[in-house]
Amino acid sequence: MEAESQSVSYLESRKLVKRWRGPWPAIVNLAMIFVVFGITWWVFQDPRGILRMYTPYLGYMYCRWLLILFIWMAYILDFWPFKREWLNKTHPLLKGVILTVVCVLAMELLIKGFFMGVLGKYGIAYFSPERLHALGVTEFYAEEYATEAIMMFAAIASWLAPAWVVACENAPWQKLPQPARGFTVMIVTFFLATLVYFLTMHSHMAILFYPWQQYTAITPPYWEGFANTVSGNFHIAWIMCCTVTVWVYESIWERYPFNLIKTDWLRRMSAFFGIIAVALCLCFFLFYAQDLAWGLNVRGTRREMAPDWRWLHVGECAIFWLVGVLALSFFGGNWPTRFSRPINVFVRTVISLAIGLAVYYLYYRYAHNFLGTQKGVSHPQQFPMIPTIWLINIWLINMWFMDGWPGWKAVPRTAEELKQVEENIVANDVRWTPSLAKGLLVGAAAGGAVYLALINVMPWVGQIQMIK
Amino acid sequence: MTDDITVSRRNFVKGVATGAIGGTLASMGLYSYTESAYNRLPKVARSGQDFGAVRSVKVTAISETSWFNNAHLMEDIKKAGGLLVDQYTIGWGPFGNGKGPGKSSYDEGIAPIKNMLPNDLEAAWAIQAKQSLHPDNPGGFATLIEVEDLDGSKHKYLLDSGWSYTWMDESFKREGIDQMLRAGEIEGLVVSHEHFDHFWGLPVTMKYNNKLPMYIPNTFYKEGKQYIVDSGYKGDPKVADKELTLIRPGMMLVKFDVPIICRVFGELSLAFNVKDKGLVIVSGCNHQGILQMTSTVFSKLKYDNDRFYGLYGGLHISPFEDWDPKYDDLVISLGKWNFEKVGCNHCTGHLTAKKFVERGYPVVRGTARFRSSSPDYLGNGDSLVF
Repeated sequence: MEAESQSVSYLESRKLVKRWRGPWPAIVNLAMIFVVFGITWWVFQDPRGILRMYTPYLGYMYCRWLLILFIWMAYILDFWPFKREWLNKTHPLLKGVILTVVCVLAMELLIKGFFMGVLGKYGIAYFSPERLHALGVTEFYAEEYATEAIMMFAAIASWLAPAWVVACENAPWQKLPQPARGFTVMIVTFFLATLVYFLTMHSHMAILFYPWQQYTAITPPYWEGFANTVSGNFHIAWIMCCTVTVWVYESIWERYPFNLIKTDWLRRMSAFFGIIAVALCLCFFLFYAQDLAWGLNVRGTRREMAPDWRWLHVGECAIFWLVGVLALSFFGGNWPTRFSRPINVFVRTVISLAIGLAVYYLYYRYAHNFLGTQKGVSHPQQFPMIPTIWLINIWLINMWFMDGWPGWKAVPRTAEELKQVEENIVANDVRWTPSLAKGLLVGAAAGGAVYLALINVMPWVGQIQMIK
Repeated sequence: MTDDITVSRRNFVKGVATGAIGGTLASMGLYSYTESAYNRLPKVARSGQDFGAVRSVKVTAISETSWFNNAHLMEDIKKAGGLLVDQYTIGWGPFGNGKGPGKSSYDEGIAPIKNMLPNDLEAAWAIQAKQSLHPDNPGGFATLIEVEDLDGSKHKYLLDSGWSYTWMDESFKREGIDQMLRAGEIEGLVVSHEHFDHFWGLPVTMKYNNKLPMYIPNTFYKEGKQYIVDSGYKGDPKVADKELTLIRPGMMLVKFDVPIICRVFGELSLAFNVKDKGLVIVSGCNHQGILQMTSTVFSKLKYDNDRFYGLYGGLHISPFEDWDPKYDDLVISLGKWNFEKVGCNHCTGHLTAKKFVERGYPVVRGTARFRSSSPDYLGNGDSLVF
C-alpha cells in the first residue's frame, strides 16, 4: 500500500453525536425535514403550488442538478472555498442556508450559463429552449426537451462524480490540495459524463426530431434489439442503479468487500467496476421482476406494459432503495454496528430493502394526496424520482451542511476514530480462511435460493392492489 | 482450541453473509435477462368472451379538431404550470374566471353561465370568451358511430361531445347531429373521458336531447360529475365500473383505469366485432395506448377470424406535435398487429400519422375539410366504414 498523506475531508473529520437519547434526534429531524419538504415542494414543484416546476422535466432537471451540486460541494470540493474553521465554528442553520444558496446559484450558472447559454447556443441546439423555439418547437416542449437533455446529463454525473471519490479514492490526484483536486475530479468526471452521454442519451434526443437526426446520432440506437425499445430509458435504468450502488457501497456497505484489497490500483478498479457489475445485476433483475409481476412487456404500448417505461421504473425502484439506505445511514446510525462488518452489511442491506419497499408502497398508495399528482403507477408525466430525490436533497442539506442539526451535533473525531475511518479505505477485519471460503460457498447457494424464491413470488406480488 | 473453533465459526458466518449477497446479485445478473428466464413466463391466457357481432360499423368524424392552434394551447399549459395542472384551473372556457393561467376553478368559471345551460349556449360562450385564455382556440372531438346489427337494423351513438359550444353546435348542424338528437335517432352518448376537448362541450348535446342515455367511466372527478348536472342532463348516467360493459351485441365498452394529463383519470374505448372481418377499435383518445387496448381485447374477447381489422379515432401519440422515442416504438410495432384499416385523427399527432403513412400502414386518408389540416387524418366530415 503506497504511503498516503491526503488530508481528511470535513465529513470524515467530524462525527455526529446525538443531542438526546433514544430515537428523538431522528424523530425531530425527520419531522423538521418533512415540514421543509412540504413547504419547498409547494413553492417549487407542486402542480397546484407557486412555481409549479413539475412540468415535469423542468423540476426534474433542477432536482437532479441540485443533487450533483451538493455532491460536488461536500464530496468533490470538500466545501471549498469555505474554510475548515468556518465549517467548524458556524452555526449549522446558518451553514445550511449559506451552503445551499451557494449550490443553487452555482447550479443556475451551470444550467443557464453553460448548458443553455453556451452549449445550446453554440453547440447543440436541443440544449437551448430558445433555439428549439426559434426552430418551430412550441415553447413548452422547447423547454421540456432542453431540460430533459440537461437532466439526463445530471443522471450520468450523479454516478460518475461520487464514484470517483468513493471507488477511486480521488486517485491519481488524491495528494493535490483543494481546490485543485476538486476541480480536477469535476472536470474529469464531467468529461467522462459527456462521453457516456453521447453514447447513451444523444441518440434518444436525436429521435425527438423529424426526421431522425441520423447524421449526428446513431438512429435507430444500437440498443434497440437488446432493450426492446429505442428509448434512452434503457440507459437511465443501469445508470441510476450505478448511482444508487455508489451510495450503498459508501454507506451501509462501508466500502466492503473491495476495501479488503490492499493493492491500491486493484482496489480502486475493482470498486469502480464492481459497482457497475452490482448495478447491472440489480438492473436486469428489477426489469425481469416487473415482467414476472405484470406480464411480459409489449413493445409499442404505453405505461406499465411498455419496455421503455419498465426500464425507467428500474431506476425508480433503485431510488426507492436509496431512500431506505440513506434513512438507515443518516437517521438509524447505520444500525447495526456491533457485529462484524459482513454481518452488519448483510443486516443493513435487508433492512434498507425493507424500508425501500415500504416507501414504494406508501408512495403509490398515498403520495398523490399530498404531492398534487395523480394516483397511478405509470402516468407518463409523473416521475417518483422527483419527490424522492427532492427528499434526499433535503436530507443531504441536513446531514452534510447542517451536521444533522438539531438532533445531532458535530464533534471532531479523535485520532483513534480517524484511524478507523482509514480502515474503511483499506480494511483488515476480514481475512481469507478455509472457513470463510466454505461460508462464501454456502452463502452463494443461499443467495441463489433467495433469488429463486423471489422470482417465484413476484407473480403474486403483482396482484397486490396499491392503487385504490 | 475453543478459540480456534469460535474464530472458525465466525469466519464461516462472515462468509455466509457475504456469499448470500453475492450469490443473490450474481443470480440476478446471470439469469434475469436471459432467454431461459423469459421462457418461464406464462403465455397470455385468453378468456375469449363471446360478445356477439355486428354487420358493420360506420364512423363519421363530426369534429376531430380539438383545438386550432397548438402553440396557443401549449402556451396556456406552460403558463398554468405544466401537464399535471388540473384542467379546471388552467383558465380555458367554459371555466375561465378572468384571473389568468392556472388560477381558474370550476365553481368560479361556471357561476356566470350556469343558468344559461344548455339552451343559450351562444351567450354563455360569449361570456366565457371574455374571461378565458385564447377563446378562439377550442374546437372539440366528437364522432358519430352507426352500428349495423346482423338483422340489418341500424343504431346510432355519439362518442364524446367536444369542447367549444359554438364550434360543436356548428359541427353538429353541419352533420345533422342536432336533428338526429332531437328526433331520438341517437341511442346513447359515450363520454370516453373527462378531458376538456371531449367533455366540456356536453351542453351542446344536452341542448338537443337532455335525456339521452350517457355512458361515463366511474373515474370522473367531482367537477366532472357536477358538470353533467349543470349541463342540463336529466337522465341517470350509466357509470361503467367494470373493465367490460356490453352496450349491444358486438359492441363493448372497455374501461382503463389510467392517470392522464391535466388531472384526469380513466378512459372508455369501444370494441366492435364485425362479422367475418374481425375486431374494430374506436377510441376518443386511447390514453391507455393502442397496444394496451389490443392486448386487453386479445386476452378478454372473442372476435371473428381472431384478427384485428380496424382502428379509428384519437390515438394519443403526439397530440401536441411533440415526440418521444417511445412513440417510435409504437410506430415500429403497430405493423405486427395487422390492422386492415386505420383511420386516425385528433390527438394521434400529424407526425405520427405521417410516420404511419411512410411505413405503409393502411391509413385511410381524409379530405382535410372544415378546418381539418391534413389529409393524413380522417378529418372533419369524413367517414369510414368497417
